[in-house]
Amino acid sequence: MTDTAILQVENIRKRFGDAEVLKGISFSLNRGETKVVVGPSGSGKSTLLRCINRLTSPDSGKVLLAEEEVKEANIDSIRSRMGFVFQDFNLFAHLTVLDNIRICQTKVKGVAHDEATQRAYHELERVGLSDRGGAYPAELSGGQQQRVSIARALAMDPVVMLFDEPTSALDPELTGEVVKVMQQLAEEGMTMVVVTHEMSFARQAADEVIFMEGGHIVEQGAPDLLFSRASNERTRAFLNVIAENG
Amino acid sequence: MGIYEVLVRDFPFLLKGLGVALILLAALLVIGFVLGLAMCLIQLYGPRTRLVQWPLIAYERVFRGIPIIIMLFIFYYGLAGLLDITSFAAAILALGFRSAAYQSQIFRSAFQSVPTGQMTAARAMGMSKTRAIRYILFPQAMRYAIGPWTNEFSSEIKETSLAYVIGVVELTRQAHYIISSTQGNVLIVFAVVALMYFIVNKSGNSLLYGLERKLAVPGFGKR
Ligand SMILES: Nc1ncnc2c1ncn2[C@@H]1O[C@H](COP(=O)(O)OP(=O)(O)OP(=O)(O)O)[C@@H](O)[C@H]1O
Ligand SMILES: [Mg+2]
Repeated sequence: MTDTAILQVENIRKRFGDAEVLKGISFSLNRGETKVVVGPSGSGKSTLLRCINRLTSPDSGKVLLAEEEVKEANIDSIRSRMGFVFQDFNLFAHLTVLDNIRICQTKVKGVAHDEATQRAYHELERVGLSDRGGAYPAELSGGQQQRVSIARALAMDPVVMLFDEPTSALDPELTGEVVKVMQQLAEEGMTMVVVTHEMSFARQAADEVIFMEGGHIVEQGAPDLLFSRASNERTRAFLNVIAENG
Repeated sequence: MGIYEVLVRDFPFLLKGLGVALILLAALLVIGFVLGLAMCLIQLYGPRTRLVQWPLIAYERVFRGIPIIIMLFIFYYGLAGLLDITSFAAAILALGFRSAAYQSQIFRSAFQSVPTGQMTAARAMGMSKTRAIRYILFPQAMRYAIGPWTNEFSSEIKETSLAYVIGVVELTRQAHYIISSTQGNVLIVFAVVALMYFIVNKSGNSLLYGLERKLAVPGFGKR
């Protein structure tokens, strides 16, 4: 744990019934760092992300955002500073793109309507969709919806962004536009934890790759190191598989 | 005097009866909406303790399981001993409380039709549960509810005629007065009254369909 760690995850455990899904996960993130989490299906990646912002409450362990412990009591305030991007976008279906990006600014942070509108256009520009403000989610492609959901999270001015397989629900030809936005964010110095199997993203943007299996962190390190000579055989095997498919 | 002259002369009474029926309808739907929505929200998002949930389940069973005429008698003659209640007020309460049971079910399935990801996304951005319900779930749930609610409207306009049995002078009873004062002519008088119910029903439905179209959002809640 360094002094500059903006997000600290300490010994998180979570069990669903008989199955212990997270068996003591710790890592920390400095400002501007990007960590990519990979691992087989069911290894607990989503559960880990959801324990960080308490969409699932961990059985034990703690999470600190800028040295403030995440608790039930301060959870709404913490969440307003932690962007979360879902696999299936979860845009608000009854609201236009513009209102999707405005509503949490106005209803959570109390930002004035006009200011929220300006911010919304600013974020839409960042994700390359400034002309789609009036569209409804159902009128957009999956890739566009995911970019809007990123813009919606960014408009809250997050300290950290959490991504849970943001491209997995997309047709292959649409993943590129989302990956590009994420790469650009990483370059601009956003602090992010990204669960993804997009190895091109991991190679280019990750400061560190965390490999999870069976609720443990099996291995972690710089992407080059991990990809070229992972010490753990299972890590190597897994990375080879997704490198071929991804 | 022929039946047509009588009908023309007494038409204002039928209109007055229709007015009473419409006030009854509006009042019972409002009570049903407010109570029904409250019950649905408590059932879905309130404390899960039996102390809270069981009375709501019991309420629904009772009001959906007992014939409305019995309910009207209970509210009018039963409550009359306890408080001084007019037949009109008794009808509003009996029909309104029963509508609450139906509307709560309509709203419950409407809220359950909203994908869980909507709540999750709102909560993940720091929205409180109450605000997420108000700004994200409610507007979507109402779009799912409006179709079934239109059916509820149609049933209830017809059900107002049952207030007849406890002496509320609504449209059906006005019709009955005209029939008793002219002997016979049941068919023509009731045909006119049927037409009046039909017109109200049709106009109400058109209004609600209009509202549904107005609220329609591309790709969402299509029935
Ligand atoms: N709410 C829940 N209740 C019960 N079991 C759960 C719940 N959420 C997750 N699990 C189980 O926990 C395990 C880990 O799930 P998780 O979704 O975290 O895996 P994952 O690494 O994200 O997998 P994937 O790559 O498929 O998304 C799985 O076995 C899953 O079935
Ligand atoms: Mg997952």
